[in-house]
Amino acid sequence: MDVPHPLPPLARSAHVAYVKHALANLPGSMVSLDASRMAIVFYCVGSLDVLGVLQTETSETDRTSWRTWIWEQYVAGRYGTGFKPGPFMSSSSSNARPAVPCEQDPPHIIMTYTALLSLAILRDDFTRLNRPGLLHFLGACQNKDGSFSSMPFGGGDSDLRNLYCAFCICSLLGDFSSINVERAISFIGSCRTYEGGYGQLPSCEAQAGTTYLAIAALRLAPPAPRPRLTTAERVRSEHWLIHSQDSLSGGFRGRTGKAPDACYCFWGGAALQILGAQDKLNAHEFTQFIASCQFRFGGIAKTPGQHPDPYHTYLSLAAAAMYAPRLDQNEQRYGQWEFAPFDPLVNARVDVVRWARERIPAPRRH
Amino acid sequence: MPAPETAAPAKLKYAERPEWADVEPLQQYEIANPLAPILYSEEYKDATDYLRGIVKAGERSERVLELTEHVIRLNPAHYSAWQYRYETLVALSAPLDVELKLMDEFADKHLKTYQVWHHRRLLLLLTRKPAPELALIARILQRDEKNYHTWAHRQWLLAFFNEPSLWEGELDFVDTMMNKDVRNNSVWHHRFFVVFQSGVREGEEDRERILKRELIYVKQNISLAPNNASAWNYLRGVLEHTRQPFGSLAAFVQPYTVPLPASTTDIVDLENPPPGRDADLPCAAAIEFLADVYEERGGADNVDKAVELWRSLANEHDTIRKKYWEWRIREALATSS
Repeated sequence: MDVPHPLPPLARSAHVAYVKHALANLPGSMVSLDASRMAIVFYCVGSLDVLGVLQTETSETDRTSWRTWIWEQYVAGRYGTGFKPGPFMSSSSSNARPAVPCEQDPPHIIMTYTALLSLAILRDDFTRLNRPGLLHFLGACQNKDGSFSSMPFGGGDSDLRNLYCAFCICSLLGDFSSINVERAISFIGSCRTYEGGYGQLPSCEAQAGTTYLAIAALRLAPPAPRPRLTTAERVRSEHWLIHSQDSLSGGFRGRTGKAPDACYCFWGGAALQILGAQDKLNAHEFTQFIASCQFRFGGIAKTPGQHPDPYHTYLSLAAAAMYAPRLDQNEQRYGQWEFAPFDPLVNARVDVVRWARERIPAPRRH
Repeated sequence: MPAPETAAPAKLKYAERPEWADVEPLQQYEIANPLAPILYSEEYKDATDYLRGIVKAGERSERVLELTEHVIRLNPAHYSAWQYRYETLVALSAPLDVELKLMDEFADKHLKTYQVWHHRRLLLLLTRKPAPELALIARILQRDEKNYHTWAHRQWLLAFFNEPSLWEGELDFVDTMMNKDVRNNSVWHHRFFVVFQSGVREGEEDRERILKRELIYVKQNISLAPNNASAWNYLRGVLEHTRQPFGSLAAFVQPYTVPLPASTTDIVDLENPPPGRDADLPCAAAIEFLADVYEERGGADNVDKAVELWRSLANEHDTIRKKYWEWRIREALATSS
């Protein structure tokens, strides 16, 4: 380990081809993604953006038609407004009178978050966004215990994923007024474990993905008189996250004792960034693991030798983007691992987050 | 209520079946340039055309159960089909034991799908019969010992219904799972949940005794398998939760921080079980623990001892975390000077 192995090349053009192909066509074997297409769109468009090729590899016509497709999933009802994962329950345009009653095809909180980020990546002007409707929708998704369901009025499952998305959207809107922040924060606290990580639900085992969601949500929350985390809580989380880096491969584990997986490089690595502990992990071995998960014909898999998917491809690239500045710049192939600055809190490039924070809130009246 | 066999995917398309002739199928609407379109199978297209049709009509009937089951079999993540199925079961007052039996098969087959467990939870909120679940969960965990959803379901079930009889066999269950794999962190987590985070049950009121029991349990496990991060995390968790100083374990931990001695004495010390003869030592987690003991004690001498241990982790025993240990050293020195 004293003499680190040189980093393998990042197969940029192969990854570009992989996600472009996924945007054009997903095989029938991926039918289980039918109810989460918007997230797949985000992973693919996000991958192109993190690789810095959105402007060169796609045309303005492409990007316009992609924005049109995303807005096509925008729906309104008595629960407010938000985005659906795709047209899997639609038999006519959302812009026409909906054929399926909206109660059976409501917006979904995770899909709303991924749609807003995708639109910001595609530099949408958000003039179509109904802000009060969006706030109303978020409020309708919150449960009595402070948690959030994926759909309004207790529809769908409830866990920290939905809570993070709600907080992130409120933060982008600059408006937390439609949700009960303190109750949500106490729900996050109930997911904290003795190991230092957070479980998906109260009394569940510490997991790196949900630990990211908890720590990011606490940071996104409006400021409070006292810090949202005590020193002891912060130190314990940092301790657990730092120990999630596998000493053999450099990759991150999702849970204590499990095998490393590329997506946890993002969740664990981003949580450490938010805690300000990014300099405490081994960035070289971390990137080395991501490099080893690259699939021969493009895309990135959860572990070396597996088949890729858009989720692991995007999160691996985002993870690499966050830790690239910490690599040894004398490294021969460093240049291929160079990325634009990345925001771990919102999970997008810094310039995308800036765009979103400028255009998603209601325009100021003069 | 159709038996599960007759609800299996039909060979004929719905469009060709006379009993479905009264339903108007609704094709999925896609705009001219769809994003990430899925190449649906003909069977999926046909079934979801009828699902959209039946949902639009608002029909609640036996055949809705047949249709939604079909869609779910093709795509277990189709949350709208799940939701419509649930509402239909309620509307028809359908026998939920039959539904749960069908769901046993789904839990087995699609144990990584959120919707399967969410639906199950909704059903249990109606039946309020949690007891039979424990056996099903145990069976599924035999096959996939670390499945997150399954463990989460068990934890929810115990905490939500919170019946004394449900908790009765829980520590025995932990032992059974632990015997299969002492490195299964889900089991360690579950033990912590049962012992410390779910209230104090009858017979467990003497917390001193419980603490002692747990410390012996974890020390014995470390003695059998020293390089087990789950056990060390449990030990730290127990001490922090009960506000015990780490220093109270120094005598136990010390032998794990050095190479295995050539000869060992055969004195049995139940309080401090020694490492086994084939243990791979020194153990990084033990070194870290002992460094924490020195840091906790404070004073320049102790900080020096802690720094020396952290240095050995950074340079020899845990080099992947070199930067982390170097940071610990800087922090400790800055605080102590």
